[in-house]
Amino acid sequence: MEVWLLTLTLLLYLLSTASFIVGLLSARPVVRTVAPSCLLAACLCHAGAIAVRSLTVGYFAVTEVYEALSFFACLTAGIGLLVQWRLPVSILGAIVSPIGFILTLGVYVFYAQARALPPTLQSAWLPIHVTAAFLGYAVFVVACSASLVYLVQEKHLKQKKASSFLRRLPSLETLDHLNYRSLAWGFLLLTLGLLSGAVWAEYAWGHFWIWEPRLILSVVTWILYALLLHYRSAGWRGRRAATLTIVCFAVLVVSFVGVQFFPGRHGGQFG
Amino acid sequence: MASLVQPVSSLMVVGLNHHTTPVELREQLAFNDGALDASLPRLVDTETIREGAILSTCNRVEVVAHTPNLDAANEKIRVFLAEEQRVSLPRFAPYLYTYINQEAVSHLFRVASSLDSLVVGEPQILGQVKDAYNASSALGTLGTVLHRCFHKSFSVAKRVRTETGIAAKAVSVSAAAVDLACTIFDHLEDKTAMVIGVGEMGEQAVRHLRGRGVGTIMVTNRTFRRAVELARTCNGTVVPFDQLDKHLHLTDVVIGSAGSPHYVLHSGMVEEALEERKRSPMFLIDLGVPRNFDPRLNNLDNVFLYDIDDLEQVVEDHKGERQVEAVKAEAIVAEEVKKFWRWFINQEVTPTIVALREQAELIRAREVEKALAGLVDLSPQAKESIDALTRSLTNKLLHPPLAYLKQRHHNDATRDAEYAQETASPHVIRQIFGLDIHEE
Repeated sequence: MEVWLLTLTLLLYLLSTASFIVGLLSARPVVRTVAPSCLLAACLCHAGAIAVRSLTVGYFAVTEVYEALSFFACLTAGIGLLVQWRLPVSILGAIVSPIGFILTLGVYVFYAQARALPPTLQSAWLPIHVTAAFLGYAVFVVACSASLVYLVQEKHLKQKKASSFLRRLPSLETLDHLNYRSLAWGFLLLTLGLLSGAVWAEYAWGHFWIWEPRLILSVVTWILYALLLHYRSAGWRGRRAATLTIVCFAVLVVSFVGVQFFPGRHGGQFG
Repeated sequence: MASLVQPVSSLMVVGLNHHTTPVELREQLAFNDGALDASLPRLVDTETIREGAILSTCNRVEVVAHTPNLDAANEKIRVFLAEEQRVSLPRFAPYLYTYINQEAVSHLFRVASSLDSLVVGEPQILGQVKDAYNASSALGTLGTVLHRCFHKSFSVAKRVRTETGIAAKAVSVSAAAVDLACTIFDHLEDKTAMVIGVGEMGEQAVRHLRGRGVGTIMVTNRTFRRAVELARTCNGTVVPFDQLDKHLHLTDVVIGSAGSPHYVLHSGMVEEALEERKRSPMFLIDLGVPRNFDPRLNNLDNVFLYDIDDLEQVVEDHKGERQVEAVKAEAIVAEEVKKFWRWFINQEVTPTIVALREQAELIRAREVEKALAGLVDLSPQAKESIDALTRSLTNKLLHPPLAYLKQRHHNDATRDAEYAQETASPHVIRQIFGLDIHEE
């Protein structure tokens, strides 16, 4: 059942990717209503797969590498869908759909049978900590995507190459606004993730802080985003803000993925 | 076309347009609203021109007519134009074009779809065609054929508009500038534009911006009085020229159209303004020749500078893309002309077929009645077989002409022109069988 749902999810992400791309290239408005529906279907199907897994194992299924990957993919696609529903940025659908597709492919690679949850992870803090942190990451994906599109649009405007494709991209103002908003939300969620992690650690291990690479890098990332947000509100805009958002996101990815190779209590699994 | 193969009635367009005719002549021949109302009823009568409409814009003067007699109608339209507009016929006759039947329909559809416009894809023409239709409709000079023909032209235009990208691109410098503003800014309602100088291009750009909803407009000029004049026409406020730099940070769009030998905007000024407006993007449109703004301003972050050459390049690119879309549009027009023509021929041929059948039946019934009146002692079976005999006779006799008419209909509908040339029209059938005689 779970694998079946995941396969369907994968197909829906693929369909959604294709329809978003066609929607961007074609002048017909019909396609533009089809694509978000595909993405919505993919998200629901994906959430269904996660729910089935959670019910099977009896806890919130986000501790295995593949489970974390799956949860993150679903959140990213969901946030992307939400944003492109509220703002005229259908390009975002064309970015999060393939991300969802690739991450779900990764889910197949890392797929593992259910195992008993280690005692330290058996806590009500698990869903809070993981959901806050992952939601934050997903929102940062949106911030980074908006920045990438901003840089493309800005470059073409500066070089005076107007094409019909670029006219369908969101305006610079929309993208910059989206960048700011998602940075603020992402930072809030990241902070919640760190705080809930600290509280949980205090309960589980007796200290809210331990010196391990995963945690240090998380705090470094948090500080970087704090600085970026600070400068943004002080008036950094446009290209500079977009570039730094991408840099911060790169650091985030490194701390998220790279740290898996270090030993530590967080190591060996995502989350 | 030989008169023998003409259908019972024809459609035609006689007119001239910007492609061939100098503007002075077009001006003289153009009908203004009042003149149209007075003239149009004189064009239409029952014999030569059953239905008529006049499309008169600054780029074209065209008469659309539904007529039973092409040559007479052609002549009448020419004389009509000459007399109504008091221009001697030989002066404008060489510029006139005449489109007949499918070509006439195709022409009207192309005009409405803006494929025949000076700027292909410009949106005004459809409104003008609709106005022409409404005016003629109100004057009662339209019948079934032209009503349908015009309505079709509107739906064709709509199809072309939605199914091709023909009108998606701005093709004037000021429209292109406003389009670019929309790729920088989310919406223009809360934006402020400042125009420096009172050049004509700047005025046009301001009007475009106003049309797209720009919130505030400021005008500044070395001569204060002329700034006031422009501000009044575009509902803007005037900023004294020496206070330009004090207002710069308030403006999101700056249009330069001053006739100044030096740059009006420098990096220093703009950088200060940017600092003050927290690096909110600024769109600088330099329409001046020589240029008003320092070209190096484009190197500043969050500043986008387009000069007149850049904008003209954008317009050129758009025009090229429109040509590609126009090919798709032509295919749509051709398809719709075919459909319309099928309807037209059908409504032409059907009455002839019906009349032929009715007349035959009338004669047959009358003759049978006459014959039976003299044969009183015939058995009912014999009477019935006489009746059946006459029926079969008329049917056999009528079969070739009816088949011929239907065949002709088919050929015309498929635009098999060569074959259609060899066939006679319903008109000829009507004459041969005397269908129109007993109506008198």
